[in-house]
Amino acid sequence: MECVVQGIIETQGLCGVNKERLRVHEICLKSGPNLGFVASEVRLLCDLEQSEPTWTVKHVGGALRGAGAEQISVLVRSMVESKASKNVLRLFYALGYKLDHELLRVGITFHFQRGAQITVTVSSVNKMLKLHATDEAVPVTPGIQLVEVTAPATSENYNEVVAAVSSFCEYLAPLLHLSKPGVSTGVVPTAAAAAASLMSDGGGTTL
Amino acid sequence: MSVVYCHIFRRLISYNPYRKKSTTMPLKRVFFWQPNAGSTVNSQILNEVSQCVESINGVKEGRWKATLTFYKPMLRDQALSAEFPREFIGISLPEQPNKYYFVLRFNKIVLESDSSIQLIMEKLQSYKSRVALNFEGFQYQLGDFQLRVGKVVPSHSENLRGIVMEVEYLPISSLEKSKQIMEEFFDIWQDAISKRSLPGRFIHIEPDFSDYGLADHYTSQHTAVQYTHVTSQLIASVQAVQTGRN
Repeated sequence: MECVVQGIIETQGLCGVNKERLRVHEICLKSGPNLGFVASEVRLLCDLEQSEPTWTVKHVGGALRGAGAEQISVLVRSMVESKASKNVLRLFYALGYKLDHELLRVGITFHFQRGAQITVTVSSVNKMLKLHATDEAVPVTPGIQLVEVTAPATSENYNEVVAAVSSFCEYLAPLLHLSKPGVSTGVVPTAAAAAASLMSDGGGTTL
Repeated sequence: MSVVYCHIFRRLISYNPYRKKSTTMPLKRVFFWQPNAGSTVNSQILNEVSQCVESINGVKEGRWKATLTFYKPMLRDQALSAEFPREFIGISLPEQPNKYYFVLRFNKIVLESDSSIQLIMEKLQSYKSRVALNFEGFQYQLGDFQLRVGKVVPSHSENLRGIVMEVEYLPISSLEKSKQIMEEFFDIWQDAISKRSLPGRFIHIEPDFSDYGLADHYTSQHTAVQYTHVTSQLIASVQAVQTGRN
């Protein structure tokens, strides 16, 4: 599980904490038409910032539902990650998965310990003009970056993590407005269109 | 044993506690028991094999277990099954408790991942576990060699389907450099086991690791590929016996 809020800022505003550069090629795969009784999606993340690219398989599942969930200002959803060797894209293609879209996230990741292990990613979302051509990626929304705040949680402790993330959002409130993914309330009008583009499907290259 | 074999054997199993063991993955060969025509595998053979290891001074160390799972695609139209991999296998190995391996034998793909990949596959619901086989038994230390002898049983049954043996040579990770010593060890082993007049023999058919993009330097991915191939050979062997009966 993880707790998630997203927002956008027009300038980078976080400093003074541990940070690392981010350059991740995100490949989103969907099951082919005949595979599975329900369609499924999986993301392959290739970390290009390392000297040797490393791969992670990520499954983002359904969000917490119900009246209680609507009261929470943070999105709580299932999330499972697994490191994998470099053959992972070949494997999923061979299993019958197809490329849905891909994007390149470039930016900075900050790590905080504030009641929970909080990761803040400030990144530009870039689309590739040619298949897998990460060197030729262009920003989906030039000059505007996506801010994502995530924290891992379990079914036992997610309430505490929600509280920690909410508190952290209040801490960042002077800098930016953060909300559940897909909710752009409070985003300034000049960035509203960018928010809708970035927070709906990540704005990636669709095939 | 003959005098010549005694000399080779002493060299092979001479244990020098100060010799630096390979800091990377030691290599191994996986063998499977091939029954003679007209005979089948049984627990008596397994006992004889274990006793043979102990008779050549193998020191029993403990239990081991590997699991191999066949996954099948969940298809809305079964008529299109030919579009999907014939064999999609998942393997867990005792020496890598936090890892899981996938092998597509006909596509020649092997993947190493964290164990959490199994949870991802469950959530995707596109492939489901069909049959699981356990490879389990005892492991033995024999100088610079580690032997594992194990039975092959379906996960929810005690029906013995086969016998496997792993021979691991600890000091070296290079497949090429280890060929001679592995073959010499196996000659010694064959000499010892043949005296028990068992109705079958151990066979090793080395997969072409380069087909899977694997190099000379041995890794757990090589082991996963070996188990995949051994399993297909075991199944072919069982089917051949059943065909012979019919």
